[in-house]
Amino acid sequence: MAAGEVEGGKPLNGLLNALAQETFHGHPGITEELLRSQLYPEVPPEEFRPFLAKMRGILKSIASADMDFNQLEAYLTAQTKKQGGITSDQAAVISKFWKSHKTKIRESLMNQSRWNSGLRGLSWRVDGKSQSRHSAQIHMPVAVIELELGKYGQESEFLCLEFDEVKVNQILKTLSEVEESITTLISQPN
Amino acid sequence: MEAPSEPRLDAKSEVTNQLVDFQWKLGMAVSSDTCRSLKYPYVAVMLKVADHSGQVKTKCFEMTIPQFQPQLLATSSLLSASNFYRQFKEIAAVIETV
Repeated sequence: MAAGEVEGGKPLNGLLNALAQETFHGHPGITEELLRSQLYPEVPPEEFRPFLAKMRGILKSIASADMDFNQLEAYLTAQTKKQGGITSDQAAVISKFWKSHKTKIRESLMNQSRWNSGLRGLSWRVDGKSQSRHSAQIHMPVAVIELELGKYGQESEFLCLEFDEVKVNQILKTLSEVEESITTLISQPN
Repeated sequence: MEAPSEPRLDAKSEVTNQLVDFQWKLGMAVSSDTCRSLKYPYVAVMLKVADHSGQVKTKCFEMTIPQFQPQLLATSSLLSASNFYRQFKEIAAVIETV
């Protein structure tokens, strides 16, 4: 039985999951042979390899173009019509897979293309800092902020910053400028 | 004479730094070798920070718009939870009351 004729959506869905893990989410390590023996045991290796390559290529094309659902349907329909393409059952499985995984794959692609550190987390606390000399008390609250930063595929780096109230308000003003900029960008027709 | 009380640092970093400068830009990633249609805006931040000895270092990082403020984009997923802007607003609100 050829790979193209094997169906039930589960093996293909499993295959697409494994391909997504390897290609987008940075989790390689599932060998071709393991995939074949687990998902398509009745397909000989020399047939499985081109089948796998075809599915990988289709998934990459869809992700690279960030296809919306109209583009997806048109693309998959074209794939069913070409020589050595896919079956309409396979097209349906791929379509369903992309619809449920699109957001996560896109987020992985965004992370992969970021070569600076990304913001992984932010935690903070506010301390009351008091000094006293004789009986005069000076009360200076301090915000302690910890930023968790990290490059794709690397461990996090932690940056700890201290701010007094004046500085916090200065930053807040800066951030409102950032927000204004974003709002302007988003409201522009493109 | 009492000594000043230092905040207890239970942060993962050993050193607290003072912020010397905060620069930002709004960028748009258009395309890359792995994805022809990236199309996402991002906020790039460059911090200049000084440690206790006065040595100044530069730290750069990027945030997606949802990380900065999820409400700005209709399509934001809830996967990224940092919400940078809102957290600073909360800090400002708290520090005012302390």
